[in-house]
Amino acid sequence: MAPPVSAPKSASPSQPSGKSEVTDLKLQLRQLAGSRAPGADDAKRDLFKRVISCMTVGIDVSPAFSEMVMCSATSDVVLKKMCYLYVGNYARCNPDLALLTINFLQKDCHDQDPTIRGLALRSLCSLRVQNLVEYLVAPLAAGLKDHSSYVRTVAAIGVLKLYHISATMCHDSDFPAALKALMLSDPDAQVVANCLYSLLEIWTQEVANSEEAAREIETLYGKSIIYYLLNRIKDFSEWAQCLVLDLVSKYIPADNNEIFDIMNLLEDRLQHANGAVVLATINVFLHLTMSMTDVHQQVYERIKAPLLTLVGAGSPEQSYAVLCHLHLLVMRAPMLFSSDYKHFYCQFSDPSYVKKLKLEMLTAIANESNTYEIVTELCEYAGNVDVPIARESIRAVGKIALQQYDVNAIVDRLLQFLEMEKDYVTAETLVLVKDLLRKYPQWSHDCIAVVGNISSKSIQEPKAKAALIWMLGEYSQDMMDAPYVLESLVENWEEEHSPEVRLHLLTAVMKCFFKRAPETQKALGAALAAGLADNHQDVHDRALFYYRLLQYDVTVAERVVNPPKQAVSVFADTQSSEIKDRIFDEFNSLSVVYQKPSYLFTDKEHRGPFEFSEDLSNLAIGGDSGDDVIHSAQRYEENDKDLLLSTSDKEENGGPTHNGSSTYSAPSDVNSSLTGLVASSTSQPATFAIDDLLGLGVPDAPALPPPPALSLNAKPVLDPGTFQKKWGQLTVSSSQESTLSIQGVASLTAPQSLIKHMQNNSIQCIASGGQPPNYKFFFFAQKEGSSSFFLVECIVNTASAKAQIKIKADDVSASDAFASLFQSALSNFGSS
Amino acid sequence: MPVAASAIYFLNLRGDVLINRLYRDDVGGNMVDAFRTHIMQTKEMGTCPVRQIGGCSFLYMRISNVYIVIVVSSNANAASSFKFVVEAVNLFKSYFGGNFDEDAIRNNFVLIYELLDEIMDFGYPQNLSPEILKLYITQEGIRSPFSSKASEKPVPNATLQVTGAVGWRREGLHYKKNEVFLDIVESVNLLMSSKGSVLRCDVTGKILMKCFLSGMPDLKLGLNDKIGLEKESQIKARPTRSGKTIELDDVTFHQCVNLTRFNSEKTVSFVPPDGEFELMKYRITEGVNLPFRVLPTIKELGRTRLEVNVNVKSSYGAKMFALGVVVKVPVPKQTAKTSFQVTTGKAKYNASIDCLVWKIRKFPGQTEATMNAEVELISTMGEKKAVTRPPIQMEFQVPMFTASGLRVRFLKVWEKSGYNTVEWVRYITKAGSYEIRC
Repeated sequence: MAPPVSAPKSASPSQPSGKSEVTDLKLQLRQLAGSRAPGADDAKRDLFKRVISCMTVGIDVSPAFSEMVMCSATSDVVLKKMCYLYVGNYARCNPDLALLTINFLQKDCHDQDPTIRGLALRSLCSLRVQNLVEYLVAPLAAGLKDHSSYVRTVAAIGVLKLYHISATMCHDSDFPAALKALMLSDPDAQVVANCLYSLLEIWTQEVANSEEAAREIETLYGKSIIYYLLNRIKDFSEWAQCLVLDLVSKYIPADNNEIFDIMNLLEDRLQHANGAVVLATINVFLHLTMSMTDVHQQVYERIKAPLLTLVGAGSPEQSYAVLCHLHLLVMRAPMLFSSDYKHFYCQFSDPSYVKKLKLEMLTAIANESNTYEIVTELCEYAGNVDVPIARESIRAVGKIALQQYDVNAIVDRLLQFLEMEKDYVTAETLVLVKDLLRKYPQWSHDCIAVVGNISSKSIQEPKAKAALIWMLGEYSQDMMDAPYVLESLVENWEEEHSPEVRLHLLTAVMKCFFKRAPETQKALGAALAAGLADNHQDVHDRALFYYRLLQYDVTVAERVVNPPKQAVSVFADTQSSEIKDRIFDEFNSLSVVYQKPSYLFTDKEHRGPFEFSEDLSNLAIGGDSGDDVIHSAQRYEENDKDLLLSTSDKEENGGPTHNGSSTYSAPSDVNSSLTGLVASSTSQPATFAIDDLLGLGVPDAPALPPPPALSLNAKPVLDPGTFQKKWGQLTVSSSQESTLSIQGVASLTAPQSLIKHMQNNSIQCIASGGQPPNYKFFFFAQKEGSSSFFLVECIVNTASAKAQIKIKADDVSASDAFASLFQSALSNFGSS
Repeated sequence: MPVAASAIYFLNLRGDVLINRLYRDDVGGNMVDAFRTHIMQTKEMGTCPVRQIGGCSFLYMRISNVYIVIVVSSNANAASSFKFVVEAVNLFKSYFGGNFDEDAIRNNFVLIYELLDEIMDFGYPQNLSPEILKLYITQEGIRSPFSSKASEKPVPNATLQVTGAVGWRREGLHYKKNEVFLDIVESVNLLMSSKGSVLRCDVTGKILMKCFLSGMPDLKLGLNDKIGLEKESQIKARPTRSGKTIELDDVTFHQCVNLTRFNSEKTVSFVPPDGEFELMKYRITEGVNLPFRVLPTIKELGRTRLEVNVNVKSSYGAKMFALGVVVKVPVPKQTAKTSFQVTTGKAKYNASIDCLVWKIRKFPGQTEATMNAEVELISTMGEKKAVTRPPIQMEFQVPMFTASGLRVRFLKVWEKSGYNTVEWVRYITKAGSYEIRC
């Protein structure tokens, strides 16, 4: 719907219908163009409003460009503004017509009213047309010297706009130097700030390939400029203060006295009403004191109160942005926040993204003194209506238990969760109990007693089912009916959709077999047979691996599958401390919100501004050793290289390492009952299978001549059944990851758009599905004039703009050529 | 790096674009489509207000029935972006006169475009002060030709004021009657366990000021906070008068307050903006006087009946009273029939929010009230009993009462012409999130 328009002529159509509307507007504009009649301005206003409203809803009104320009000779400020807005929007696609506007914009740049001058200058710089750049220089130069500060503020940013259109022109006209002079002399704070914005952006863009830029940047971060800005900080607007504070956080003071001077000067900024200023100040404090451990700690104490206030004030979105930063600090120094745990209690009305962060913080700050209260509170959330949060809170309880505080009571509570008989609570708890048992095997008796009562049929979630199966395998000696439960699970192999569960089932049956062989033998045979017939590569491989292992030597098999295990002391952290430090360096930016350093989520071209600053702050860190204490909490994790990596894949890690050394040609010691079973069920040629097992599925073709340009059959035919069969038979010949363009991601609103696009490239889709952000496609294509097919599995994640491609081919030699063809087709998506 | 926003979009709940303003070329025009399809139309809408699609980050917030989306392509500053949006909305509100919703945007879209041009240039925030912007962007979208001629002449002070040092106050103001209104508004946040112990409790307060003062007055505000009083007694070498002092956990001030003087002398002194503004905000966690104590008992009688008993006690002075007291007691979804007995007020069952709602228009201090309710449930098969219920929520307003105990001790006004001023002070305590688990 377009904004309602007051012109009587257009009162009825609230939905502008596109083409005819535009022609209509053109006509009316032309009639009014030369009119000087009284009331013409009002009529024009209405028309302009309609044009702008069409522009807003996305109707292309650029055909009316010349008429708009004709109408723009007016003294009405509002009309001027609308016209400038229009021109700024369409000048780029009509560079020739844009020339028409230059004349009146230049004229307006000499208007006696500074507001008009500023407006005209801003619009002139916003045209963004390459071949009009020459007309910009003179008005900009005049603007920088204008006696009105308003015009100067506009001009200062205007220089930056010019720079983005034509960097050389900007340098040739010596604007950066002029900006610098203005920055150091202008009485108006906003002019100074805008000069600083522009200079920072210009020089950081060039810092990589220009020594001059590096020098200029150094001066900007140098003592004299920093002091100049700091002394004026109260004159700046709140936003400009953020900019200055940001600059200061990168400054390297000469000695501690200087640090204290700066902090004393800025302390009152912590009381500023604008949360952005407060956060920026906190950033300065944290970075300045990196070298002084004890002061750094005091800074934490000092900033706690303002941060907690900010969290409580404002909209949920604002408090989320602040909470992310608080979260980072809590994770760095949980000790310092342990007495403030009550601030992180969730309110019923908190949105779930806020609750999630709070739960993580509660988990982090739990220690001897507050564990009881925190766990009690967390248990309250377990029955929460918000299921994801209930899950999170159960996980949080488990994590606290793994931190070794008050384990006894926590295990009791976890077991109580199991009695709540809510599906998701049971599921989450099972996963936790499993992890707990890995760390505290001494609790196995209590847990097993409760877990044994849970029917495997009532659990649907793969993770929970896998956990239960793991426990069945691991503690089969203590659970009476373990072999029979496993057997019934094996019988329902076909209905088990998750490969993870099937993998666990295989392993559990194996473990059980070594403990209670007579009872399990039947289940093991069935499981191996089912595993070998499984469509899933990993399941199939693991089954075959177990089978051969058993064939080779049962004792070796036992050592591999069921080795004596030590209790896990520390679970590996998913994030390295290096990454955490990097995020900390980028305090007060999106890195903190995303919890990953900026280079992971910004495009290369945007990385410029940050790379340099990182170097600086690294210097600051490298020069001393005081900060080690703060980091040590995170660093110790790194040293524990021997830990298990994640909770889902465990003892099987040992498997593959044995692979390489054991030989496969020695089927001497055979478990006879198994051989028969398996031999009958496996039909693949053994060599193929062994290749598979060793991960040699892709035959290396180093000496292949470059394949001839591949052409594809435009209309290949393949029915889904054959596809599925082929997919099962063939091995992956190429597996790649590729990046989608932003346009591509934007166009991928539904799977159909990509399917259509690929069809134009002679690649057909056979199946697709998924919900944003994940889509999955199966494509196929056929080589022109041959019967060989290429099959593709393509998983697109729109959030990361990445596509994972797996290609299987009848004709492996042509696979690479096809892969590049597929990639280029994919990367073109959206641009056409 | 401050905001450097590439674009701002205003969308309605269906995802139609109401306003779009592209500040930079580094994001495509179809970013809004990406937002619509990958955020708005998915379940993830409510999961996080900052999302990344492709190389761009979307920072969005919902205000009434409008989504405001900031698109950035670099590592922007999230807190500052959200603050910018909030400030921008406040600015728009002051132009439209209170409301900010889809209709207001549609009716004023030209004005919003004008404002968006002024408050942000090339993605960098500029001046957002309504006081100053109103000098040269006038509220009337439509003016007569006569007045538009008048605007050809430059307003002498306008552009100077745009960037001037005392950005928040114009010179040359004159009022016949010089008045100052102070409103101390506190909201109490409480989380109480079912056993009646306070899990967390704090008060967030703000002091709102409405000034109608001539010239350039200098104001000084005295509160009964501990640090301020101690400092004062040090300076004047006079023992602090006995009486309640309170400890503020954290204070933030409007930009007009001279923070240096606050830090050295602990006095709040300032040159106020004209009209209405928020002078300071504070937070208190110690020594909060809870205005109400709530004791719920909920008994389950068999599978289909609940007995709810809620007792509310007021603990403020007997001469004071609370207004608009509402107690919301959540009940299961399958509630069929309810019957009530209340000592005061009215109670009923509201099916759309699954709550028993008990309203008491006027609640005197030092009294108590009770509600007894019997709830009959539809018997359902297999439905397990709810393990925990949502908490009981309370709403209220208590005039002339501050939960923190904060009092204004003095408000002094100095102006060179030496006129007399009339000062009005009001206190009110409201419920923030006042939750009692049951």
